[in-house]
Amino acid sequence: MRAEHYHKAVVWLFTAVLGIPVLATLLYSLSQRWGATILPEGLTLDWYLRLWQDTRFLAAFGHSLLIAAATLALSTLLIVPTAFVVFYYFPRLERWMNILILMQFAVPPVVSSVGLLQLYAEGPLPIIGTPWVLVGCYFTIALPFMYRSVSNGLKAIHVHDLMDAAHLLGASTPHAFLTIILPNIRKSLLASLFLSFSLLLGDFVFANMLVGARYETLNVYLFSVRATSGHFTSAIVMSYFLFALGVTWIATRLSRQTDL
Amino acid sequence: MSYLEVSSLSKAFGQQPVFEDIHFSLQEGELVTLLGPSGCGKSTLLRCIAGLTDVDSGRITVAGLDITRMPPQKRNIGMVFQSYALFPNLRVADNIAFGLRVKNLPADECAQRVADVVRLVELGGHEDKYVHQLSGGQRQRVALARALVVRPRILLLDEPLSALDARIRKNLQEEIRRIQQQIRLTTVFVTHDQEEALILSDRIFLMNAGRIVQSGSAESVYTRPESRFVAGFMGNYNLLDAAAARALLGLDVKGHLAIRPESIHVVLPGETPLANQGKSYPAVVQQHQLLGNVIRYVVDSGGCRLMVDLLNRSASSLLAQGATVQLQFNAEELQEVA
Repeated sequence: MRAEHYHKAVVWLFTAVLGIPVLATLLYSLSQRWGATILPEGLTLDWYLRLWQDTRFLAAFGHSLLIAAATLALSTLLIVPTAFVVFYYFPRLERWMNILILMQFAVPPVVSSVGLLQLYAEGPLPIIGTPWVLVGCYFTIALPFMYRSVSNGLKAIHVHDLMDAAHLLGASTPHAFLTIILPNIRKSLLASLFLSFSLLLGDFVFANMLVGARYETLNVYLFSVRATSGHFTSAIVMSYFLFALGVTWIATRLSRQTDL
Repeated sequence: MSYLEVSSLSKAFGQQPVFEDIHFSLQEGELVTLLGPSGCGKSTLLRCIAGLTDVDSGRITVAGLDITRMPPQKRNIGMVFQSYALFPNLRVADNIAFGLRVKNLPADECAQRVADVVRLVELGGHEDKYVHQLSGGQRQRVALARALVVRPRILLLDEPLSALDARIRKNLQEEIRRIQQQIRLTTVFVTHDQEEALILSDRIFLMNAGRIVQSGSAESVYTRPESRFVAGFMGNYNLLDAAAARALLGLDVKGHLAIRPESIHVVLPGETPLANQGKSYPAVVQQHQLLGNVIRYVVDSGGCRLMVDLLNRSASSLLAQGATVQLQFNAEELQEVA
């Protein structure tokens, strides 16, 4: 009995440590003034109304969504077929792929940014200064999450037998992939897409170093208005947090549903 | 002329041969079984016929048409897999119709053919279910229906019943045989279960270590083994070496003598030996094993341990350990093997 109380206390303490900053930020974003008093002086939605009427914020939010969506579209087009080809035709490459997808974690974002600036400054793809450089950069961030998830999805079904059955029924390999394999890894793919999406929305370092104010994203905007009002920036943080929470919730639900 | 003809077929994975110099042929409408222990190459041979695995050398023809290098999509061969390989994202009817839709058949013809095959495999009422909502036996019927609906030239079955429990397996064995005979479909069935092979097959090709070691009707392969391996694999043969055969029966054999346990006549205490079964030999019961309708006795006769099967007619007729009986051997059932 004592052990049960102890376990519950640890869980509640952990939840409080994680939850109190979020609740404080929420309360601060809803308070009119909260300076010399212990509790806020009145509650208001004004900060949210101001935020969601600010065209600069809406543009930055739109930029973040666009870059994330473009990155995930590119990632889906490249990673899903690659994972399938490795799994179906070249399973021996799997261990090399596992090393490759983890390499981005070995390089600090600042170092990686400098490298990306040099890479995209010239050569066949000179996209420095355009928001598209972020797509190339974010691809490497999404790669490990998406590749692992898709690869696990492929392992969970009998890919070879399904492909063999489809082939014997007259289907070509692309037809079998699109009509049989892809629908059966759909949930793994969607879960990784939503997780990557919320992760990419939270990036500041790469967006600030590679593009900065030329193509303001949500976190660059938050950084630039940090001095205006704490209540206002709290409203930005809460808006972003609730959006990311919703996306993550969808991802978690999808990843739990293993059966069709 | 044979319908399916496999000649000089060989396949190796790297330096490891899977099967070598395989020859066999099937008549149209025949059901044959490739029987053998795990790893003998029977499933790979089946995959080569389907076109899912390339062969190194040899030739496969169907109705005179060389299909050796033809892609699987063009062979029009149906296959049922051990894992069923049903498409989890599709309903039963869509699984069955997949091959018809790939061929761009009109929707009403697809619907008609699906309905026909659903009736044939007795799956009515399950058309709108997903695969995960079906039992193992129902899944196997869907896999069979999906393979049959495209009207294949040959049906291949790769250990399709091995994942099912004994009762369902028995029912499906009868179903497969009924359907195969009803539509007279040329069928190759792969199994490692000799009992299944005996029940289903017109002919059996028994494989070992990448070679067909004996072929023939189920009865001939079972009752006339040509080697120790066949005798051991097909039944619980008593195998006597040359010395034991001479000591027990006074016979001179070059290799071994194979005797089926059920072919030995047991003369119980108080009974008279059969006149047409020749000499009788005394034996002492050492132990027994109840196999249901059969009781298997281990007896010692002249220093030889023999297995003898008797029908379990009555619980009171069980022979006690140490009981003395007489054994009679039908000369026609004594099989000399290499």
